[in-house]
Amino acid sequence: MGSQGGFGQSKEFLDLIKSIGESRSKAEEDRIVLREVETLKVRLNDPNTPKYKLKEYIIRLLYVEMLGHDASFGYIHAVKMTHDENLLLKRTGYLAVTLFLNEDHDLIILIVNTIQKDLKSDNFLVVCAALNAVCRLINEETIPAVLPQVVDLLGHQKEAVRKKAVMALHRFSQKAPGSVSHLVSNFRKKLCDNDPGVMGAALCPLFDLINADADKYKDLVVSFVNILKQVAERRLPKSYDYHQMPAPFIQIKLLKILSLLGTGDKKASEQMYTIVGDIMRKCDSTSNIGNAILYESICCVSSLHPNPKLLEAAADAIAKFLKSDSHNLKYLGIDALTRLIKINPEIAEQHQLAVIDCLEDPDDTLKRKTFDLLYKMTNSSNVEVIVDRMIEYMISINDSHYKTEIASRCVELAEQFAPNNQWFIQTMNKVFEHAADLVNAKVAHNLMKLIAEGFGEDDDTADSQLRSSAVESYLRIMGEPKLPSAFLQVICWVLGEYGIADGKYSASYIIGKLCDVAEAHPDDDTVKAYAVTGIMKIYSFEIASGKPVDLLPECQSLIEEMLASHSTDLQQRAYELQSIFTLDAQAAKKIMPMDSTCDDIEIDKNLSFLDVYVQQAIENGAQPYIPESERLGISSVSDFRSHDEHEPSTHALRFEAYELPKPSLPHNIPPVLASSTELVPVEPSYVIDILHPTSAPSASDAGSSELKLRLDGVQKKWGRPTYSSPAPSSSSTDLVKVQNETPRPDSTGSSKPKTRDTSYDSRKQQNEIPPEKQKLAASLFGGSSKSEGRHPPSQKNTKTQTHTSDKSRSSKASAPDTAVKPSQPPPDLLDLGEPSIASSVPSVDPFKQFEGLFDFTQETTPPASTGGVDGASKDSDFTSLFADMSLSAQSHIDPNPESNGLGGSKVEPSSPQLNKGPNLKEALEKDALVRQVGVTPSGQNPNLFKDLLG
Amino acid sequence: MIRFILLQNRQGKTRLAKYYIPLEESELHKVEYEVHRLVVNRDPKFTNFVEFRTHKVIYRRYAGLFFSLCVDITDNELAYLESIHLFVEILDHFFTNVCELDLVFNFHKVYLILDEFILAGELQETSKKAIIERMGELEKLD
Repeated sequence: MGSQGGFGQSKEFLDLIKSIGESRSKAEEDRIVLREVETLKVRLNDPNTPKYKLKEYIIRLLYVEMLGHDASFGYIHAVKMTHDENLLLKRTGYLAVTLFLNEDHDLIILIVNTIQKDLKSDNFLVVCAALNAVCRLINEETIPAVLPQVVDLLGHQKEAVRKKAVMALHRFSQKAPGSVSHLVSNFRKKLCDNDPGVMGAALCPLFDLINADADKYKDLVVSFVNILKQVAERRLPKSYDYHQMPAPFIQIKLLKILSLLGTGDKKASEQMYTIVGDIMRKCDSTSNIGNAILYESICCVSSLHPNPKLLEAAADAIAKFLKSDSHNLKYLGIDALTRLIKINPEIAEQHQLAVIDCLEDPDDTLKRKTFDLLYKMTNSSNVEVIVDRMIEYMISINDSHYKTEIASRCVELAEQFAPNNQWFIQTMNKVFEHAADLVNAKVAHNLMKLIAEGFGEDDDTADSQLRSSAVESYLRIMGEPKLPSAFLQVICWVLGEYGIADGKYSASYIIGKLCDVAEAHPDDDTVKAYAVTGIMKIYSFEIASGKPVDLLPECQSLIEEMLASHSTDLQQRAYELQSIFTLDAQAAKKIMPMDSTCDDIEIDKNLSFLDVYVQQAIENGAQPYIPESERLGISSVSDFRSHDEHEPSTHALRFEAYELPKPSLPHNIPPVLASSTELVPVEPSYVIDILHPTSAPSASDAGSSELKLRLDGVQKKWGRPTYSSPAPSSSSTDLVKVQNETPRPDSTGSSKPKTRDTSYDSRKQQNEIPPEKQKLAASLFGGSSKSEGRHPPSQKNTKTQTHTSDKSRSSKASAPDTAVKPSQPPPDLLDLGEPSIASSVPSVDPFKQFEGLFDFTQETTPPASTGGVDGASKDSDFTSLFADMSLSAQSHIDPNPESNGLGGSKVEPSSPQLNKGPNLKEALEKDALVRQVGVTPSGQNPNLFKDLLG
Repeated sequence: MIRFILLQNRQGKTRLAKYYIPLEESELHKVEYEVHRLVVNRDPKFTNFVEFRTHKVIYRRYAGLFFSLCVDITDNELAYLESIHLFVEILDHFFTNVCELDLVFNFHKVYLILDEFILAGELQETSKKAIIERMGELEKLD
């Protein structure tokens, strides 16, 4: 079996691979590939090419495409090959089409018929090949064409076919949940299949179904528990063992299912306690796979109805993870801790130092996981430390995706737990300074609102102090270059509103500053609009207070510039500013009353004052107005927000047509021109709407806007003001959804437990800990005991709470949206990499690379030591899990089985052949064969011959 | 769910790429480039998990080859890390002391093995014996 007999390809193909391997530059490689493409084009189109040759050409075509070149000219040949009677050709054809084509490719239609036929074939290999293609190529529209056959195959005598049929149905249920809803009983039946592989496969669709609606499957709890028990008792065939654990992958899937079924269900949970406990006890915590099961058990325990014994076992396991040297295990430990503190917040305390180590680790993955933990355990006593840390990290990273997330977390925590307003404003300033354009625009409005509303009704001095300090901090910050636009808007608004409120700064000083802002950002109309309105406010305050007012020269030139602006909004603001000067004090006071942003304005939404006019018009024969919804015959319409909320939560394709969005009324009501008596949020949205007409919809379909225009739900620019209706289920929208699938942020990140505990006590447990670390630990974990004595964010918080009731909702809902937004244009290549990645790949010393083969043999290991024998390093070094040897029953495995599991097996670099064991001869033969066909390891990649498991 | 699996060497040359979600042609190459950049220079002491856009990549290095799996955020990292190892064990068994060159010349067979191991983005069979047997049946045709 295998390739002992040679590579089975023609000399030509081997030469191709060889020459590509030896090419010195990308250009040279491209030349070779292009030549190959030409050859293939000629040969594939030649009707005289023998069939067995065709097979190789198709494989060569796959190779060409894998190198990143276009091979679409040959797709049709691959499709034709699936029609062939010869099984070998057919199989190759299917392999090629599954790799070449997407489910929406035009050629699919030519394959469906063949698939239908092949699913009925007597040869199970043909059926399997067809099922592989079904999983990849059948789309929502073609499901009905093959569904009956696939269902029939669930009863096929060969287990391989049953298994693939289950997976195909699983795929269908992902693509079109409705298509297989009547088949759920079949999945249940497959749980009892004789073959463990089929049973294991059936867990996949069941997991999805239970995830969608656990209540329907509560009766299966007993079955799952029984299966898990049998697995744990090693009742499955030995061949499912992996590293001495019985069928670990099946165990993990079952644990996942149990945790879904046990969530919030005491009765179901109680049925599971015994088996989960058993599994945790049986886990071999020295192997990776054992730890994987252990971790999954902890996840399961944390979602079941709490059981003290299991929680204790979970806590012990977490402690072991966190104490481990392996970053992987630390990572899992932190993640498990995050899950467990929901139930038992005290548990974090004993691990404080481990957590802080992880926080300071250079590994970004671990660091971010730790931030997740901190985010979940934030309370009013440690919020300052945690948010400061987060901001510090936020500033240091370039990855805009994560930056967005962490920024919105900072905002959320600050809004929820801020100890005082001073701190809140400072924190927000920091966030805005570095990430204003990444956080939700709503956040800026909340900040302005907080400054406007202050602590509460009865504490005016504190309010004005707050405002003065805000003004002062802004005057200081605004000189800095490259401030984000959203932040400048806040600054302009606050300066306009409160710049001269405390009398510390003169009107002309503030106006001068505002003019500077407008001047410094000639391209940002929004900022300019905010600045002009700020200036307008200050002038009218001055006029209202009866002071003599003279127009500053820079302000004059600003007005002149804006009068000629392309933006009608700016023009209008400039005209208004001009006309302010003609008013007397009384009128100015009316237009711009001082400090009245929080005053409620009664808005007559029904426009009842127009009733008389309407009545007259109707009497004169005018048509009565019919509301838009009635005109279009829509019964229920959800507004934009509901889109925001459920869209990011689903990763899967959404096939049903979009609801017709209701024209959002608040956007269309032209607000009374930017007077300061407005409701705060309206003014900015007015600006945004006018200046960036696309920005509002882009929140809900930002992902798709880059691909193509989606006109459904968008008001038509010209003609009758209707909304174009979405296509029922055109494949193009499918495509759009599909595109969204990957970049969609996961919504789980924003779920937030509200359980907080305040009963940590700060114990210094270990000596020899650096004092600063201890301090950090104390402030993170131990601070809460003080929290009673501290001024809780009482009034303000409740206040924020009330007025954030909708803001927190929307900020939560829209957090994933904002996360998507910056990634259009598609994610920056540089963003995802660590900044330190140098493009040094080609310059790597080949010898060094060679050492790399042996996976991190540490420099301290003496070169002559036969690594595998060193049993002492057994549990100390997880890092070598890369190099760990398989425990499989293969002939060439390491002679020291005990050193295998956790990688005491340092492979000796200078004598790799030792490891070949009994297979040395074979390896030599292979090398000889390779030389014979003339392939030599190129200078670029001396690893070509290296045993992967060596 | 597994979004895609990639085999790349240190230079970033793709040795195998299988996607379980539809992606545009241009997107594929970008993904391959990005994943390679993410994993190739990571400190070996670091975790084998990297965030990748809204998913995470679980990778493992064998000699000069990187095996990368892109999975959902909620998936069990360590289990997928071990599934990579199981895959390599299967390859090793099939090719007898597998090396990169085996995978280069027989990449189409690697795809066939992969189809027996992972289907529709899920592990469909975790018994090495079962997979090897299935491959034996396919090999007989040649």
